[in-house]
Amino acid sequence: MLNRGVNYKIPRNLLFLFESIALFLMFMYYRNALDRSTIIYGLSLIFIIYISNLILSKIVSGDNYIFLIVTMLASIGIIMIYRINYEQGFKQIIWISLGIVLFFATYFIVKRIKGWEKLFLYYCLASVFLFLATLLLGRRFKGAINWISIGGISFQPTEIIKILAILMIASYYTNYDRFKEKKWGRYYLIGIMYLFVFFLFLQRDLGSVLIFCSLFLALQYIYDENRKLVLANIVVLMFSGLLGYVIFPHVRIRFETWINPWEYIDTIGYQITQSLFAISEGGFFGTGLGLGHPDFIPEVSKDFIFSAICEEMGILTGIGVIMLFMILVYRGFKISINQRNKFFRIVALGISILFGIQSFIIFGGVINMIPLTGITIPFVSYGGSSMLSSFIALGILQVASEELDIEED
Amino acid sequence: MEKEIKRIITVLAGICILFVSLVVYLTYFQIFKADKVKNSSYNKRLWINEEKILRGSIIDRNGKILAYSELNGETYARVYNYGNLYSHIIGYSYRDYGKSNLELYYNNVLLNTSESAALNELKNLVEPNSEGNTLKLTIDHHLQEYSRNQMKGKKGAIVAMNPSTGEIYAMVSLPDFNPSTLREDWGNIVEDENSPLLNRAISGLYQPGSTFKVVTAISALENNMYMEDYECTGTAVVDGYPLKDYDGKGHGTVNLNEALIYSCNPYFAETGIKLGIDRLSETAEKFLLNREIPFDLPVKKSLFPKKGNIGKTDVAAASIGQGKVLVTPLNMALIASGIANKGDIMKPVLVKEVISKDGKVIDSFKAEVISRATDIFTANELKNMMVDVVNKGTGKNARISNIRVAGKTGTAENPSGNDHAWFIGFAPADDPKIAIAVILEEEGSTGGQKAAPIARNIMLEALNTINN
Repeated sequence: MLNRGVNYKIPRNLLFLFESIALFLMFMYYRNALDRSTIIYGLSLIFIIYISNLILSKIVSGDNYIFLIVTMLASIGIIMIYRINYEQGFKQIIWISLGIVLFFATYFIVKRIKGWEKLFLYYCLASVFLFLATLLLGRRFKGAINWISIGGISFQPTEIIKILAILMIASYYTNYDRFKEKKWGRYYLIGIMYLFVFFLFLQRDLGSVLIFCSLFLALQYIYDENRKLVLANIVVLMFSGLLGYVIFPHVRIRFETWINPWEYIDTIGYQITQSLFAISEGGFFGTGLGLGHPDFIPEVSKDFIFSAICEEMGILTGIGVIMLFMILVYRGFKISINQRNKFFRIVALGISILFGIQSFIIFGGVINMIPLTGITIPFVSYGGSSMLSSFIALGILQVASEELDIEED
Repeated sequence: MEKEIKRIITVLAGICILFVSLVVYLTYFQIFKADKVKNSSYNKRLWINEEKILRGSIIDRNGKILAYSELNGETYARVYNYGNLYSHIIGYSYRDYGKSNLELYYNNVLLNTSESAALNELKNLVEPNSEGNTLKLTIDHHLQEYSRNQMKGKKGAIVAMNPSTGEIYAMVSLPDFNPSTLREDWGNIVEDENSPLLNRAISGLYQPGSTFKVVTAISALENNMYMEDYECTGTAVVDGYPLKDYDGKGHGTVNLNEALIYSCNPYFAETGIKLGIDRLSETAEKFLLNREIPFDLPVKKSLFPKKGNIGKTDVAAASIGQGKVLVTPLNMALIASGIANKGDIMKPVLVKEVISKDGKVIDSFKAEVISRATDIFTANELKNMMVDVVNKGTGKNARISNIRVAGKTGTAENPSGNDHAWFIGFAPADDPKIAIAVILEEEGSTGGQKAAPIARNIMLEALNTINN
């Protein structure tokens, strides 16, 4: 009876086991301040994730690993955030639950409605609108203006623009032949992308600049027929990077802190050095949940959540998180290669590259392998905008993993 | 389509390389850099962890508590029971001023943590430790206190040890400081030109003067190059430079034994020149000059002119412990110990045992020969000569009734000030229980007059009070 009921070879059961143990540790850590709602929230999270995976495996015909990987990442994130600050932990549980709902909603909407590849102009206008709104209404936060607040709810428009940009690029290359016939059609996309990067630079959001550039470059490399343009683009971007370094002090400062963070330990190097302390203190096995001091790192639950994971769960778990992202990206590419619908093929690639590059930039940043730019880890960091937009992207990827009609030409 | 898939795979490979490089860098960082990063004084965790652990006590060989930690609010603070007495052995441990001496070099033992973070964590899982290990020293508290008092506040150093095991019974270096009031005194301590933070016993380099003649004598005996009847006129002229005896009067006809008894400079200078720098430095290096001395605290390397092209005057100066020869007091105590211990020099030890919080001895020192400096016959011959030095010669002030004492005095010319007064020796000569080196820095008097009586008193006190 028991043998038939519980089979730990099924990944979602393994995930369930992992979450249960971690949550138990969490409860032990808060044993003195534990109330009923905490337990209910925790258990319901496990339940939601388990049920979602179960439902998913029944209703979708496509890939059911990507959602599993993402819920594993989200679980690690929530446990860490919960341990650091349990008010944020509560909120994060709500964000994850909302994210899962949005994931299913996106999945059904994107699957039902046809003609996504024809909306190039709308994606473009919507993005520009959001950029302008950010610049006009935005609040400056940690040196970057990338938050806007409407009716008490603040969010980061860049998170949505990322998805819009992917859809835009995909619809451009799906309809490449038609654009080619127009006079400047070959240069539409590159012009728009430079505009986007310019906007991001105005916001001083260097992390997003990096993400957009790499995303665009990678897709252009795969799909653009004009190879000289690809090469020219690379040269121009490198040159602008160099120019940015020479002209703008806030770019230069990032590089200097990267080269020698210890010199600036009291000022701009404070965060990164605190992050390095946390990682080295953790060793391979970590201090154990609740036994380290990740709270010494400012903004730890957002940009520096990876350092907290390394401190308390060890770099072996850190490497595990990196590997989960690698598998996620790999599944995404596999989905893309198997997809015969060109639009969704490109969208799947775009989303995978987005997850890959974004996580690489912040992992590399907090371990000081590359200059630090403040962005979040998809699914892991604390924060609503990032969580919701990542789940939307995942919903689209889920659609792309299924057999779809080939667009009529 | 074919081309598209190829390019997609290229991009995928690129992203995978990025991820793998993250893993490689993280592993590299953890293995090679993490330890250094972790121990940066900016790391707040260092102090949080430490102050929660009851740091182990430090006790003397008889169990007397020399330093311990006590709860001060929520964290532990260090208490030093004997002020200045152990400043150069135990040192201090403060959040703001760091650590020194045994508090520094035995930090992990005192906290019962290991160097490896991974091991620490495994151990923490099994047994979350909140109490460190106790260090039992080889020091005898009574002798340490007695020795320091014998110095009467003069600058200098004393090392008293067991020649057959290497255990250090007393190690004094003056001036010293009070670890208990370090915070208040810090400004004065670092500005004091007499450098009270310097442990002269192991980090002070001095010319050994005539005490070094025992090494020259051993080299002469081993190489069979000693002179039977040397006519001492009080001065030897080497390359035009006169080398004088201390009082400038001649000793008449002397053999090796008599030359040592009266500390005859011309005799040893001539012998040294005969031996040559190669043979001399070979013997000196067997007595640990130019060599790292393994110890619980870092020891400065004593210096002897290297083999090769050096002038005759330098060789002559070196053979009477002047010129380019520089030694630590610990090294001189080890030379005396080697002669006492049939030619074998034992590894010097300061930490006798490490005792866990539940009273188990988890580590104890093992007596270990670090140099076979000479053979038993030569050692025996030297011992007899050194007994004569004390009975008839310059070391008369070290005589103890009914006990045969072996010793050698030294008065080292100091180019930058007054002469240093030296005495090295051991007792009882036939079954040595204690070996000693005493130096009074810039004393301006002879070793026989000033250092020998101090050494005598300490040896007598040790023989009377220490029972193993």
